Amino acid sequence: MTGTWERCIRLREPLKTRPFLLFAGLAGLGLLIGLYREAVGLGYVTGLNDGYSWGLFKNWNVTALTALGSGGYAVAVLAWIFNEKKFHPIMRTAVLTSLLGYGTGMLALGFDVGRPWNFVFLADPRTWNHYSVLWEVAVCMTAYFMLALDVENMPPFLERMYRSGDPKKKDLSMKFFKFMQRTFPFGIALAFVLPSMHQSSLGSLMYLAGPRVNPLWQTPLLPLLYLLMAYILGFACVLLVLALSAYAWDLGWDAAIMGRLAQVMSWVTMIWLAFRFGDLVYRGVLVNALNFDKFSLYFLLETALILFPALLLLSKAQRETPGALFRLTFLLSLGGLLYRFTPTTLAFSPLGDYHYFPSTAEILMSTGFTALAVAVFLYAVKTFAILPASQGKIAAEEAMRPFDTL
Amino acid sequence: MLSEVISSTTEEKSATFRNGVDRRTFLKIVAQAAAAVGLTGSMAAKMVAAVEKGARPSVIWLHFQECTGCTESLLRTSHPGLAEVLFDLISLDYHETLMAAAGHQAEAALEAAIKKNAGNFILVVEGAVPTKENGIYMQIANKTGVDMLKHVAASAGAIVAIGSCASWGGVPSASPNPTGATGINQLLPDKVVVTLPGCPANPYIFLGTALQYVALGKLPELDELGRPKFAYGRTIHEHCPRRAHFDAGRFAEEFGDEGHRLGYCLYKLGCKGPMTHASCSVLHFCEVVDAWPIGLGHPCFGCTEQNVAFNLPMLKPAEIVRPTPPATYAPVTAPQGYISPIATGIGGLLVGGILGGGWMASKKIAKKEEPASPGVMRSKGDTTGASGKE
Amino acid sequence: MDVNRREILKALMGGTVAAAVATTGMPVGTAAKPEKFEADPTALGLMYDATKCIGCRACMPACQNANGLTPDVGGSGGLYLQPDTLNAHTKNLIKLYVAEDGHERSFMKQQCMHCADPACVSGCPMEALHKEPNGVVGWTSHLCIGCRYCQVACPFNIPKFEWDKFNPKIVKCELCRHIVGTTESEPACTKVCPTHAVIYGKRGDLLAEAHRRIKAKPGFYFEDHVYGETEAGGTQCLVLSQVDYIHLGLPKLGNQSPAAQTRKVSDFVYRGFLTPVVVYGGIVAIVRNRWKEHLKHAEHGGGEDTHGEEKRA
Repeated sequence: MTGTWERCIRLREPLKTRPFLLFAGLAGLGLLIGLYREAVGLGYVTGLNDGYSWGLFKNWNVTALTALGSGGYAVAVLAWIFNEKKFHPIMRTAVLTSLLGYGTGMLALGFDVGRPWNFVFLADPRTWNHYSVLWEVAVCMTAYFMLALDVENMPPFLERMYRSGDPKKKDLSMKFFKFMQRTFPFGIALAFVLPSMHQSSLGSLMYLAGPRVNPLWQTPLLPLLYLLMAYILGFACVLLVLALSAYAWDLGWDAAIMGRLAQVMSWVTMIWLAFRFGDLVYRGVLVNALNFDKFSLYFLLETALILFPALLLLSKAQRETPGALFRLTFLLSLGGLLYRFTPTTLAFSPLGDYHYFPSTAEILMSTGFTALAVAVFLYAVKTFAILPASQGKIAAEEAMRPFDTL
Repeated sequence: MLSEVISSTTEEKSATFRNGVDRRTFLKIVAQAAAAVGLTGSMAAKMVAAVEKGARPSVIWLHFQECTGCTESLLRTSHPGLAEVLFDLISLDYHETLMAAAGHQAEAALEAAIKKNAGNFILVVEGAVPTKENGIYMQIANKTGVDMLKHVAASAGAIVAIGSCASWGGVPSASPNPTGATGINQLLPDKVVVTLPGCPANPYIFLGTALQYVALGKLPELDELGRPKFAYGRTIHEHCPRRAHFDAGRFAEEFGDEGHRLGYCLYKLGCKGPMTHASCSVLHFCEVVDAWPIGLGHPCFGCTEQNVAFNLPMLKPAEIVRPTPPATYAPVTAPQGYISPIATGIGGLLVGGILGGGWMASKKIAKKEEPASPGVMRSKGDTTGASGKE
Repeated sequence: MDVNRREILKALMGGTVAAAVATTGMPVGTAAKPEKFEADPTALGLMYDATKCIGCRACMPACQNANGLTPDVGGSGGLYLQPDTLNAHTKNLIKLYVAEDGHERSFMKQQCMHCADPACVSGCPMEALHKEPNGVVGWTSHLCIGCRYCQVACPFNIPKFEWDKFNPKIVKCELCRHIVGTTESEPACTKVCPTHAVIYGKRGDLLAEAHRRIKAKPGFYFEDHVYGETEAGGTQCLVLSQVDYIHLGLPKLGNQSPAAQTRKVSDFVYRGFLTPVVVYGGIVAIVRNRWKEHLKHAEHGGGEDTHGEEKRA
């Protein structure tokens, strides 16, 4: 296969395609409903209540989807700590998915909190309750987004500045680039430590709920399991995005990168499964899985979606078949997302007799935030050099227009 | 003589002429009077002492825009009866309905009483005072009500507004209030005015207030509208004999229906009890048990309250300002939360769409990216754009 | 009524020593044996004896008025004060439990339990929910971001949120801290209770009184157990009942506070921020070498070639 990805290119495709307009439209709708929510309050726009006070925004857009947005973090570990150099061409894509996953997650969080104007007080260290897991998540995610993610995503932007032809812009971009060069190890270490902290804290959040989270999920190991799942979903997201992009825009298929990503992902899943089942056996609750009540069914579904694809991905043959790779990664990511989502909502039984399902407006808002991520992704890959491409594609692009122009 | 006029109209107890009554009977009368209005025995003694000293306080009673119903209701008391009050406990120096004098003689009596008892007399006002066009809508002896009120009130020791008209305007003040009828406390802003609203006011509230003043020299505790708290501190709803029916949800729905006959709560027929501060439910009228609106089967219409009586429709249900729990209890857990069927449908569609989309994408990726069998030309693949899945 | 006000006051006033003895050496029935607690005996709280409650619900309108709450009229069309659960308009609720076969019934007064080591306080990012020096768990508006973690954390599902407001508050009983000590000497509910079913005082005194009642009538109260003595690390609002507490909506809880459990897990990982710092240093050390190598490689392969930038990310 001659699909090896050599470098990043800017796609010369038109921006306003039907899918882009669809996602942009959904995003616009979601944001409009968000504005309405700010005016009238959460009660009119969501199905949230005093029992299930956390719903789609916190539990899906933040807890579940930022795990998908851990691609930049996970691939960076492979590329920089384990020194697997072949991942460098996909780093930009990975950190872009992270930026978008976290960005829209934090946007959803901003719409979800009831009194956002008091966020300013969070800047005053005297108000900090360092015992609070949610405080840790808030501060750490913000720090990650503001100090690490945006800097990590600068290179394609700087590059475009450099090529713009304006000498001032060229100079500025070079200055910033030199700064990045000098501080790179410190920056990337931050981009490792910060997400480790908050991705695990996202798990610890539900630990405080104690017996109200079903024993099949409630464990002191929640932070570890959530952190490992962040890796798994990070890899999965990068895999899926690259596969879809390769399909859509003829980028070629880099079997080495995709195969290795899938392999590492399946190993980490095995480690995750070991901790998960080891914990269940240690606490003696594995039998609950055979109750066939709704919790046991969620558990069996989640386990099936995680276990079987991961087992299959251990096999090289499966990893080398793009269709199977995509399918299995897709199923694995569904299972992983289900795992991240379940302790917060499906397995959470508040005291009393509460029922929750997101309202239509809530679903539209949540979908809108996700659609925003997709729309911005489409915009970004057609404006900046982010997606990796194989030699064939590069040649085709070069024929259309030389690379040293915008 | 005044006493002769009165004696010909009162039924029994004519032997309460001051001169013809022995001390024992007199003490009994005073004790009865005190008890009837809730004053203790020691206060009765004080009253006796005050009266024996010959210090029967002077009372000047002015009438303005009124129907004389409050005076009429006062005539229908028996403990003490009006005769006892007039002869033994107070000195009624001016009362347009009850005095024998008329014309200039009456005016002279008024002026004399004011001069003689300046600073000490009790001014009782019955009726609202018209204020439009300088108060020409009610004049006595060429003096407008406003002027008369201000003139007399200037030297009064205590001022009592009896009835809703004097308290806040009453029926003359009903919309559109063509005469500008107002309560007297609005016209005497710098004076303490005891208001006893009601249509008519319950006479025993007046007697209680007046006799307390006589006995102790001070007025009862008043609320922010000048109403004595002992009578107007609670709403009818708060001490209604039919309250248990209200709490249990037993209502008369129509006049004459089963519930009405059984004496159920009249809330749905427009009872303004919840909005009305008064004591009618515990202090009935005309000395007949249950002689008050609700007791007779008619909803209270809020005659003491300015924004209720002659303002809100009689049969329109009242607003409950301080609701209390009903006769039923909350269970230990009550179901909460609403699940929208439409949202469930949309959620289902979304999940289905994602699953379907993922499956289709995997098929398309397989077709495109997997090496074709030898000899078959691989198409460049369609570029219909991203299938739109993350 | 066999316990009158005088007896209660006597017990409360003279109970400090008894409280110390009671909390350490009290024989508890089949309930979990209490370990050493840090529950402060001088912290303020309530004791509700369900066997004395007659269900008059005077405490409900009293609480509404004292706190300036809009009454929750439920589905009654404005007729009654009829909440069926604690909510943004209801800080105090009297509920009735009737057994399915009707053989037992009990009232239950539900309000914030004012835990000794509250989960809500532990979870609140800026401690908008905080513990006052006198033990009352209070809420401060300017520090609340409306994240609602307190609702997730509370074992008794107490904090309620004003879902229908643009400027929502967290609403729960705060033991009338806005008036106690200034215009009032006790919360509105205890002030109006005609049978003194709910009383106010320091936790040590209340606990002593509870044990005194249990001792006076052995076997009368359910399992001779005071609910709140050990549950969730101890609560300042205690409940005595003849029926099983679970029927009153009080969950069966261990004697460790959720806040303490979470702190344990956090400490294990973070060790007071030591772990992140050490890991950070380690990563910098590892990456530095790789980065130097990467730069050297880029220099040799790239030069002015801007394409080279794309490989580094």
